[in-house]
Amino acid sequence: MQVLNRRLIRMIWNTRGQFLALIAIVMLGVLIYISMTTAYMNLSRSQQSFYQENEFADYFLHVVKAPEAEIKRVANIPGVVQVTGRIQKDISFIKADGGRGTLRLTSYKLPVEGELNQIQVDSGRMFAREGGQGIEVLVDPKFAAANRLKPGSLIKVIAGSREVSLNVVGTAVSPEFIYLMKDSASLMPEPEEFGVLMMPHENAEQITDMQGQINQFLLKLVPGADEEEIKEQAEAILEPYGNLAAYNRDKQLSHLSLKGELEGLRVSSRFLPLIFFLVAAGIQFLLLGRMIKAQRSSIGVMKALGLGNMRIVMHFLSYPVCVSLLGSLLGSIFGIYLASIFSQMYAMFFNLPASIGGINGTAILYSVILTLLVGISSGLLACRGILLIQPAEAMRTAAPVGGGSIALEKLSFFWNSLNSAWRMSLRTMFRNRTRFAVTVLGVAGTVVILLMAFFSSDATDYMMERHFSMENRYDFRVTFNAPLKQSDITYWQQWEEIEAMEASLQVPIKVSKDFSGSDEKIRSEDDSLQGLRVGQKLLGIYLADGQELQVPENGVLLSERTAKKLAVQVGDWIWVESKMGVGPSHQARLKVTGIPQALLGGGSYVSLETANRLLGESRLFNSLLLKIDTAKSEQFKNRLKNMTAISSVLSRTKERANWDKMMESMIFFIGVMILFGGVLGLVIIYNSSLMNFNERKKELASLRVIGFTRQEIGNLLFKETAVQAIAGIIIGLPLGRWLGGLYIGAVSTDLYTMPVIIYTQSYFIVAGCTIIFILAGFGLVLPKLKQIDLVEALKNQD
Amino acid sequence: MEKPVLMRLENISKQYHMGEVIVEALKETSLDIYAGELLVIVGPSGSGKSTLLNLVGGMDKPSSGQIFFNGKELSVAGDQDLTMYRRQEIGFVFQFYNLIPDLTAAENVALAAELVEEPLTVDEALQGVGLLERSRHFPSQLSGGEQQRVSIARALVKKPHFLLCDEPTGALDYQTGKSILGLLDRVKNMGTTVIIVTHNTAIAAMAERVIRMRSGDIIEVLVNENPLPPERIEW
Ligand SMILES: Nc1ncnc2c1ncn2[C@@H]1O[C@H](COP(=O)(O)OP(=O)(O)O)[C@@H](O)[C@H]1O
Ligand SMILES: [Mg+2]
Repeated sequence: MQVLNRRLIRMIWNTRGQFLALIAIVMLGVLIYISMTTAYMNLSRSQQSFYQENEFADYFLHVVKAPEAEIKRVANIPGVVQVTGRIQKDISFIKADGGRGTLRLTSYKLPVEGELNQIQVDSGRMFAREGGQGIEVLVDPKFAAANRLKPGSLIKVIAGSREVSLNVVGTAVSPEFIYLMKDSASLMPEPEEFGVLMMPHENAEQITDMQGQINQFLLKLVPGADEEEIKEQAEAILEPYGNLAAYNRDKQLSHLSLKGELEGLRVSSRFLPLIFFLVAAGIQFLLLGRMIKAQRSSIGVMKALGLGNMRIVMHFLSYPVCVSLLGSLLGSIFGIYLASIFSQMYAMFFNLPASIGGINGTAILYSVILTLLVGISSGLLACRGILLIQPAEAMRTAAPVGGGSIALEKLSFFWNSLNSAWRMSLRTMFRNRTRFAVTVLGVAGTVVILLMAFFSSDATDYMMERHFSMENRYDFRVTFNAPLKQSDITYWQQWEEIEAMEASLQVPIKVSKDFSGSDEKIRSEDDSLQGLRVGQKLLGIYLADGQELQVPENGVLLSERTAKKLAVQVGDWIWVESKMGVGPSHQARLKVTGIPQALLGGGSYVSLETANRLLGESRLFNSLLLKIDTAKSEQFKNRLKNMTAISSVLSRTKERANWDKMMESMIFFIGVMILFGGVLGLVIIYNSSLMNFNERKKELASLRVIGFTRQEIGNLLFKETAVQAIAGIIIGLPLGRWLGGLYIGAVSTDLYTMPVIIYTQSYFIVAGCTIIFILAGFGLVLPKLKQIDLVEALKNQD
Repeated sequence: MEKPVLMRLENISKQYHMGEVIVEALKETSLDIYAGELLVIVGPSGSGKSTLLNLVGGMDKPSSGQIFFNGKELSVAGDQDLTMYRRQEIGFVFQFYNLIPDLTAAENVALAAELVEEPLTVDEALQGVGLLERSRHFPSQLSGGEQQRVSIARALVKKPHFLLCDEPTGALDYQTGKSILGLLDRVKNMGTTVIIVTHNTAIAAMAERVIRMRSGDIIEVLVNENPLPPERIEW
């Protein structure tokens, strides 16, 4: 069947513009699918194998301090397979420039094999129990890089009130430290300020002064174990040692962040390519349908010659198959490249053992199958017409196009105001409603993609605006090792560079709803409580709608997250229990006076007095919010360097700088999205305008004979494009907004809720961009107008 | 009674290049067309009739020679001027009507009317071709003869100087063809210059002048002193 192959090549050549356009769309769909799926699969696989090989714990229990012997009792709880006990404590370290940072000291029993949350050496070597050389430690790779530490470097930490130098022997990673943030209120990893310090258990006992003690239990559970039940029993055992927290992986910070990222990739890798494949399917359906119509007589001749339906269908199907194969090939090549960029990005933010790059055969195979399915099914739909063609019938000319009235004409006052050209355009569009629908949906898809790009940037921008300008108005937050007395403030007040200062008392708490009188089961949630001066200025607290709240004299502003989980409303009473870890825990019954929403971290707020009362203390604080004269901020930083009582210093300028760095990679992806969306819009308009033009060549030629100028013909076609474009934009904008909400719902974690924020101006920019891409697509067809041959109109056969 | 010359074709020729081959569609010819006459161009298929008509209608430019319309030279006019010429002066009737399928009869006529300053009303034009009562029908709902009438109305609504008809009866049956010819005869009587191209020599009988073509050449120009009314023509 060489002849048919040659015919196929000719068919492709005659429609080369559309053929290339189709390949471009399929390519983009495959590219997005492969890059995201590869990134997803690689990341998810390395997460899983890392979790498994290093025995990532299922459940975590934090206490103030417990004897090591309790490990056995916890291990005896039914459902618990294995328990590892350890010490984990945040301590200060002294940076090369003299400033303070925080290290999460974590202890490991040697040999580490057989325990939970094992570490894996990334560079250098494993630490050994203290020999003559001093204490050997490992740090996490990002921290090492940010602080320029190599095997052989020394690191100074503050243990109690002593300064201790530790020998860094290498870097190591662990499943619990893949995405490393200090706490849920952190914006992102800050490896300069915060890292993990791993050392032998004996040395950790020494440094933390916890001989024979541990403060964390890591549990491995049997699959399907009842976590609530285990938690209850474990907390009963550990009650005397001060229960601080009990949680599963889903509240483990690193796991949660990774899960959010994976979920985002998974959702996008399915949703985004779908738009491209659907548009490609639509165009192929229309294009083949038209080819078959135009080649009716050829098909009739083939049938008359004895070619079977099957053979002819295969002949026409080869067209979409060529599109699919070429599209997959190009898409795979570029997709693998883009996947490597993803991997580089993940390697930049995640502490993972080995490189997570690599080609993913499954993703490629899936995309080839997917595109072939799309191509063949749309092709088969279009080929139905072939079966209906009779050999003899094909020799006759095609039945004339039957124009007719459309529903819109019922709006007679509107319809009568239209001139004939508009009526013609509207009826033509209606007659070709499949094409109309495909085009409108294609444009809507473009708008959705562009809107998603803008949405991610707007939402982050909005979060940043809230985080940096509205919520956190201080320049520095200084946190102390131990609570200070109100009188200690005078020491700070003497410094000229401080413009404003507010004390804060942060207390980890456990919240439960007050059910006095009812016998509902009492559930509790962990939260963090911050005591602030009434009328606080350096911290803004807001309702979801942006209305500002003030810290109440007596009640509590309960974080939205906790309120939701406990189904608490404004006016309800709650029980708050402190878990400070010093002294007995205290409880207080508080009235909820407001439910603020923070986009990142966030917590609950009370007055400084209420917080103190909860601890059974008065006039204590453990951190200071400071507003500094910007010109003197260096002077201030130098002052901080010499203070040992400080456990950490949070600088917003630094936070901002880190953030901006992270945004750079985001901008790249936003740019790529806009480009891809633009190509989609351009192609869909190019295709539908071209088809419209080709089908109506003779009609347009007649109009030229009657006296229409080329310009007028162009306007006529443009009107039809414009109607479809506007319809697409009108559908696409709310659709994009809606899908954005769905997307957020799908990828939101406990960690943060991205707001569904799209600035009004973005809608206009998206509409504007879409119009530009549409004009470009239409512009590609314009030169064809010159090809209208007037004499063509007079030709008798068509 | 001598009619004034509306169009003068001087030594015009037309060649088409088909790859290597040059087709001489019209050899060097001259012709005057008089205002208000009914001219029939006859000749076998491929003899250059349509080519000649297209040059008169400003749809194409001659390869050589000059065309003057009312003293203005058309053969040097640009695309824009030719379009304006077609818009203002020419009504065209096609063999296969070429109506816009998505417009009703009235709208097809209106589309053309919208192109000029002072057209006939759509109703006048449709009345003129006897189709007023079918004005709201779409082409697919009309017979061939009716479609050709709409096509004539669409041409006439612009009040053109020329009504050019390329094989206007080619797709119609005998009776319908004759009634269309009758209509064209009436159009001529109202003062429009009508040119009919046909390979049917019988039609020549209704013409005031007949141009006979063969192989791209005008071989004869015949003045018919006694044109027959179309009803009496038979073929
Ligand atoms: N656009 C064209 N390209 C090439 N050849 C053409 C074209 N139009 C007409 N011809 C040729 O010119 C000659 C005259 O054609 P035409 O004027 O259409 O003849 P008629 O109308 O008398 O049948 C024919 O040989 C025809 O094949
Ligand atoms: Mg002809």
